[in-house]
Order: sequence, then structure tokens, then C-alpha cells
Amino acid sequence: MLTKTKAVDGAAIKKAIESRDGKLLSSFYADDALVRVMDRNNPPSKPREIRGRAAISTFWDDICSRAMTHKVDTTIAEGDSLAFTQACAYPDGTKVFCAATLELKNGLIARQTVVQAWDE
Amino acid sequence: MRPIETRYARSGDVRIAYQVVGQGALDLVFVPGFISNLDLQWEDEGYSRLLKRLSAFSRLILFDKRGTGLSDRVDSHRLPSLETRMDDVRAVMDAAGSGRAALLGASEGSPMAMLFAATYPERIRALVLYGGYAHFHKWVMSPERLETFLETAETSWGTGATLPNFAPGRLDDTHFIQWWARFERLSASPTAAAALACMDAGIDVRSILSSIGAPTLLIHRRNDVRVDPQASRFLARKIQDAHLIEIAGRDHPVWTGDVDRVSDLIEEFLTGQPAVADTERVLAALLATRIYDTAKLGDRMWSERSQRFHETWRLLVGRHGGRVAGTHGELMIARFDGPARAIRCAAALREAAQQIGVASAQGVHVGEIELRGLPAGLTARVTMQLATHAGRGDIIASRLVAELAVGSGLHFVDAGRVSLEELGEPLPVVQATSEQHLEPACRSKAKPVEPAMLTARESEVVSLIADGKSNAAIAAELKLSEHTVKRHVANILLKLDLPSRAAAAAFSARHAGPDGP
Repeated sequence: MLTKTKAVDGAAIKKAIESRDGKLLSSFYADDALVRVMDRNNPPSKPREIRGRAAISTFWDDICSRAMTHKVDTTIAEGDSLAFTQACAYPDGTKVFCAATLELKNGLIARQTVVQAWDE
Repeated sequence: MRPIETRYARSGDVRIAYQVVGQGALDLVFVPGFISNLDLQWEDEGYSRLLKRLSAFSRLILFDKRGTGLSDRVDSHRLPSLETRMDDVRAVMDAAGSGRAALLGASEGSPMAMLFAATYPERIRALVLYGGYAHFHKWVMSPERLETFLETAETSWGTGATLPNFAPGRLDDTHFIQWWARFERLSASPTAAAALACMDAGIDVRSILSSIGAPTLLIHRRNDVRVDPQASRFLARKIQDAHLIEIAGRDHPVWTGDVDRVSDLIEEFLTGQPAVADTERVLAALLATRIYDTAKLGDRMWSERSQRFHETWRLLVGRHGGRVAGTHGELMIARFDGPARAIRCAAALREAAQQIGVASAQGVHVGEIELRGLPAGLTARVTMQLATHAGRGDIIASRLVAELAVGSGLHFVDAGRVSLEELGEPLPVVQATSEQHLEPACRSKAKPVEPAMLTARESEVVSLIADGKSNAAIAAELKLSEHTVKRHVANILLKLDLPSRAAAAAFSARHAGPDGP
């Protein structure tokens, strides 16, 4: 019997990120999903690429293990495309801001691009 | 970029200094060895290279253990247990907001990292142990050797006297010796150093190794002078998910030797991906220096003078704004931001070599090089070949160097072309001559030029010039290429300080004897 999975939406992502629920976040991704991260150390010509749900799961586990706050704002959805911004803060006051775009396939995240900037 | 902030975590009543650098998704805590100083480590090239490499893929958390660097000292009459010291790692992680991290334990930091992994498995993502051990007396120092070490520390701590125990490969590097002495002074007083050594001497974590469940990478230098490589082989047998990689080298501190190799291994282990080759290229002038005609010196004299020249080389390179890039066989390679600096340094080295009683031969070239490691690309190979080609006291540079140094006041004379294996066309080269203002104000009376200064081949060439023959004709007669003849002519004019072929012909006529000029 075919089960219809509820497509990932902005509200689900916001809830998972803000509650630092790495497992829930990982479940939003397709098995062969690709996450690309661009920041100071990973420029656009050489972004850090995280391929596959297992690696993405480790990535979110690492992020979610940090005692920091995340606030997801400005979620925009259009068809199979999603975008959101995220403001984060470490206990020492260091702030990080991310903007992410996502492409969905069969209701799961197939491709995500994150651009982030840190206080430095 | 704002300066790296040093903060203080509280571990019981003790303040532990820590820093956080990098923006990676993964937290990596560096548990340092015997002594450390968070501020000073950034001033050493190898140390800062290691930290930059690690923080390029992680959020790197650094700290000074209690008793050293910027952290509180310990009561030498009531030394804390390893458990208490290990708990400092937890305190730092809590302060930095790190719930789960990979730990890099280096040397004495590795038993602490192992104990942490066994105690707080939920907070460990992976373990990397560099030059690590489980039992101090078995793999680092016997009680007798420790006694000698403590005596040395008691009498000469702060002078860099402990360096041979850690990095004998850097004993010819006066700059590093000075840094090491500062490292000792700014990391601990003699009393604090003795307290740290005594704390380390009590280390025995053999019983907890089987409790470590985290994936573990062990790295050990095959000829490590401080910690017996058997120590890591033992760990590889006892830690269930451990993988040992032995690498070349004997200097012990993780920030000395081939730092990039260590960083590559750690990055690949922790991220699951090979390190992306750092292909940052910069335009640089390279200077390759060698001692000319080493065979004429006896072994002992050669060794003494060579060592003095190496020391002088490091000093002069630094003084001329360059960076010592390393050695390649007998060639010493230095990197400069501009060609004029490289040439001036070469001139100073030539003079220094004479004072030491050796002769130098040097090559200078300019081009793009990779920032990482010893320059090894085409620019480096051309520079090294120029140095190999250079004669006694010569500074041979590509013509490009002379063109870029226009306006610097440096003087060059054309030295023909040099055929290099990898270049399709022979490379136009010049010879750097002494600068006017660097010469003594009162020049000693110039020595009359003796024909004996010319080689046998050059004497033949000068005779044929005197016969009015062209380069092509001389080349045909001596069965040489025209290019080689041109090079001989350039050398002859340079050696005899003559302006033209005609002058060389006249010289030949004046000095002609039964055996020619």
C-alpha cells in the first residue's frame, strides 16, 4: 500500500531547527540529497558538499549538539522550492546568519544550498 | 577580522583559558601536550598552520590545561588527578556550547582525551590521538630519565634547553630555538613545569582503553624522539575501533614537521572526505642557495661551515623580509615577496659565505607558487636548476627578475640563455652584480686580473675571440652549441670585468704566453 508522506514545509523545518531536533531534520531529506554550504572557508567555486542522508544526518547531529539558539524567519514557498533565513547565537554571543534555498522532490529535500556568515 | 578572543571557563575553582576559531559544522577540541600558550602558539608558523588547517573544516576549540599557559596554575604540593584535569575539557566544551565534539589529543593531551572518551561517550563524536600513550614511564620516560629531565628544567628552564627532547630536527633553526625558549617561559615557570612533568609522570590509562567506543584515529611519527611509536601500536590493539597511521618524521610536537600531512589525515578521518588540495597560489620570488664545490672541504670542516652557513641563511632570509621554505638536498630554498629582496638577500649571503670560508652559488626566479609546503612546482624547479647551474659566487637570475627589479638600483649583466629540461625555449638569464652602495666606501686596490681565473675552456674561447672568430665559428671549432659559447663569452667578460669582445681579444693578446692566455 502506498503511503503518502506529507511534503516538507517551512513550518516543519522551523520547528525542527528551533528545537535542535537533528533526527527530525534528517528525515526531511531524500536518500541521495545534496547540501552545499558556502562560507568564508568554502567559497562558491569550492563549496563544502554533503552528499546522502547519512552524511547529512551527521551534519545536523553536529550542529544540533551545540548549545545555541536558532530562529527561523522569512520562510518562502513556491511549488517545489523553499527558502528561509536563520539567525543563530552561541552562548558566548557569537552570531551566525544563514540563508538557505531548497528544492523538493516527492515531498523531500533533494538539494539545499546554505550561505552563512559568522561574527568574526 | 577581529582578533581571536581568549575566554575563561570555570572548572571548579580553576579558570581555564580557551579560544574558539573556525566555522565548521563539527566541533573539534584540541587537547594540547606538556605545555602550551594560547597567545604564543599563533606566532609560530607551523603551529598557526596546523590551527588554520583544522579550523578550516571545524569549529576548533583550543585551551591551555590547568598549570600551563593562560590558565590557572596548580598547587605543586597537591597535584590534581588526571580525572580532575580531564574534567577541564568538559568545562571548556560547556562554556563553548559544544554538546558533542571530536577530540584531538596530542602527546600528553591524548591520555586526557582517552579518559574523556571513556567517561563521557555521549559527548564524543570521534577521537584523534597524535603521538599518544597510555603509560608515561613505559613509553615516554623511565623514572631515571624523568629525574634528569627535571634537573635540566630546574637549572635551565626558559632557555630552550628542553628542545632536544622534543624537536631535535629544529636545533639548527635559531629563530625556532628562540621561539621555543619563549614558549617555555610563557607557558610555565620552572616550578610549574616540574609540576606538569610530575602530573604527566603519573599517567596510566591502560585500564580504560577497552571502554573507548568512539571511532579513533592514531597518528604517530615513526622515529618520534619523545614518545615511543610502540605506544600507539599498543593503543591500536586495545581501543576497539582504532586505526593507526604511522608517518615519517622524528620531531614530536604535532605542530612541527609535516603539519599538512597530519592535517590531511585528521580532516579526512573527521569529514569522511579527503582534504581539498589547498591550491592557493601566490606570485613569489624564490632564491635557491647552495654551497659551491663542497668536495674541496674536509668532512669535519664542511659540517661546521655548512651549519654556520645554514644558520646565517635563516637569519639573513628573515632580515630581508623572506621566509625560509625548506631545503631540497643541498639546496636551501627561501621565498620573498619581491625579486629585489631576493637578490639583496642573495648578495648578503654571498658575502656571508665568504666570511665563513665557503663559496655560494645561487639562483633566483619569479613565478607563481603554491602556498602549501615546500615550493615544488615549475617556478621552484627552475630556481633550483639555476642554482645548480650557477658557478662560484654567482647569483644567476632569470631575465624576468631583472625586468621586475627595474628601479631597485640593482645591477645585472646578461648571462646568455640556459637550457632547462622542462622549458621549450632556453631561458634568458642574467647575473646579479654587487650594488654600488653596498661596496665599501674605500675600495681595496683591485687585484690585477689573472688569466688563471679563466677555466681551460674559457681560455680556449678567449684565444679564438682574439683570432677574430664569431660565436658560430668558435662553436663549430670547439664542437659546442652556440648558446654554450655565448655563455662562456659572458662569463669571460664578467670575470675579467671587460666591456666587449674586442677588449677580451686585447686582453688575450697582452697575456698570451707559451700556453695561451
